[in-house]
Amino acid sequence: MTQIKKIFPYLVSVLAAFVVVGLLLWVLKFNPLKAFETMLFTSFRTPNGFIQTLLKWIPLTLTALAFTVPLSSGKFNIGAEGQMLVGAIGAAAVGIIGKDLPLPVLLPLVILAGTLAGAFWGLISAWLLYQFNINEILSTVLLNFISFSLVDFVATGPWRDPAAGHPTTVPIGEGGFLPMLVKNPPLHSGIIIAVIVAVAIYYFTSKTTAGYELVVTGANPRASKVHGIDIKKMFLFSMVIGAACAGLAGAIEVSGVHHRLIEGLHSNFATLGLIIGLMSRGKNSAVPFVAFFISILEVGGSAMQRTVMVPVQIVLIAEALILIFILLSDIVKRRQK
Amino acid sequence: MSGLEGTITDFLKLTFLSMVPFVLASQGTMLSGRTGVFNVAQEGIMLVGAAVGFLVSYITGSNLIGAVVAMLVGGLFGLILAYFTTTLKMDQFVVGLALFFIGTGLSSLLPKIVIGVTLTPPLVPTLREIPIPLLSQIPIIGPVLFKQNILVYLSILISIALWYALYRTNLGLKLRSVGENPKAADALGINVVSNRYITSIIGGMLMGLAGAYLPMVYTGTFTDLMTKGRGWISIALTFFGAWSPIPILFGSLFFAAVEVLSFRFQVGSSIIPYQFLTMLPYVATIIVMIFTFGKSRVPSFLGQNYDRERRTL
Repeated sequence: MTQIKKIFPYLVSVLAAFVVVGLLLWVLKFNPLKAFETMLFTSFRTPNGFIQTLLKWIPLTLTALAFTVPLSSGKFNIGAEGQMLVGAIGAAAVGIIGKDLPLPVLLPLVILAGTLAGAFWGLISAWLLYQFNINEILSTVLLNFISFSLVDFVATGPWRDPAAGHPTTVPIGEGGFLPMLVKNPPLHSGIIIAVIVAVAIYYFTSKTTAGYELVVTGANPRASKVHGIDIKKMFLFSMVIGAACAGLAGAIEVSGVHHRLIEGLHSNFATLGLIIGLMSRGKNSAVPFVAFFISILEVGGSAMQRTVMVPVQIVLIAEALILIFILLSDIVKRRQK
Repeated sequence: MSGLEGTITDFLKLTFLSMVPFVLASQGTMLSGRTGVFNVAQEGIMLVGAAVGFLVSYITGSNLIGAVVAMLVGGLFGLILAYFTTTLKMDQFVVGLALFFIGTGLSSLLPKIVIGVTLTPPLVPTLREIPIPLLSQIPIIGPVLFKQNILVYLSILISIALWYALYRTNLGLKLRSVGENPKAADALGINVVSNRYITSIIGGMLMGLAGAYLPMVYTGTFTDLMTKGRGWISIALTFFGAWSPIPILFGSLFFAAVEVLSFRFQVGSSIIPYQFLTMLPYVATIIVMIFTFGKSRVPSFLGQNYDRERRTL
């Protein structure tokens, strides 16, 4: 019963957002019902659709965690995009340099390098916050822009693949490829890593002392400080863990999907990760489920663009509206008390 | 000699030209911040302003109407921000980020709906230079300061007007008190809520105009994500300018100069990879933040919501 009560505001929010988007589509002379049908059911019609959804779910869950883990301590990490890209650079660099290494050596190195590179990128913002009290929203966003140039530099530098028209590096060694779980349509084993990370973060924040200190810091920094928690360290720590998740997402994209560094591989994952994190109200345990729902919408949205010719940006509007309605439902609840 | 003089004149002229979006967006941030509303949706509002400003100019054939509609849309975003934070008391960062997404999404969606996909980009005329008689004849200073488009003049005037309004009028004193100590302001009969709404709306309008400037001056058309982080840089710039109109004006000149330099070097040099020059504005912003954050004076109540029924603040 309580579960239903918890999910109820979500359902109403989704419904309300769809009504608004439906009206918008109707005004634009599209068929709303057909658009919604494509948006919601493409993932479940074919095996390919379902695997596409899972493939989106991996980076979305990780970039959303990159936002929610720092948010547990009250900090806003808007830099998942940059952390993911720098993670991808790290993974690709190790994969290219060590391209002759066998899989049991290279694969862990590639994944680890990506994760650490992402964590390092987050550490810059965390350090700026720790040392100079610089607002983390600003520093993480600015580092995103810097990372775009870095990717361009690496993908057009000595490792450039001359055969590719778009800035792209040569492939990493085959030992760095994530093994496939399903051959056709392809599903790589990065999904296992993502599930483990999501569960580990849930366990850490809800069942361990250190995780508890983190959450308490976010709930009331002043009280936490009085009770002897080093809140500045908590900020630093949570930012770095979050950034590591984003870096891992970048490494998985390189090692599982593209097998090389490609400019633009970050897609819109980080923005969606933020939306997912906000929809989950910063709750790490809700992230994987919300991420799955958003993956369905994303896969359905691109199908909708192809079949019903509705611009794919409609999906982003729908997601933003769902977010707004979820936030509004909090206020309704507050008023009812 | 005249070659060098020409280069310097060109550089300064471009700097003043590029200063405008920074000035408008940062003054908007500053104004709403002065009553405690911390807007972090600049990037989204500027993008919407750019898209709407461009589309309306394209359809009506008038840049003025385009700019006005862009301001109205920006003002609407400011109104929504004020409603959600001041009336509904939701977290300012969360609402700001949500508005940033909506703005970004809308800016990318609207041109596709209104114009569709075209092979050649649709263009609007860029803003003309309006030379001021006599003054524009002065060497160097003339072309730099007095032979610019209307929004260059306007952004300087707005900055001076804001300084005057905030520091030399009773209204400004009241407004500042809302951002410093809303409880005391409320007790003195100053309407905290309406002050917050008004500054947030005007702030949003300035950001919308800042966005509309981009297609009307730089490209003549709208391209996705064309703000390139200028909105975010404006927040840093507002801290750099100590939340005060005149320092913000000079800070904007500095950031504009970095932008022009990074672009100029990309064309000229082959020693430094161009990617590192593209990074320059963002790196400069971070370095500037290191030296100004924590040192500059910030409105005490910035980013917080006032609830008159609460005992403690």
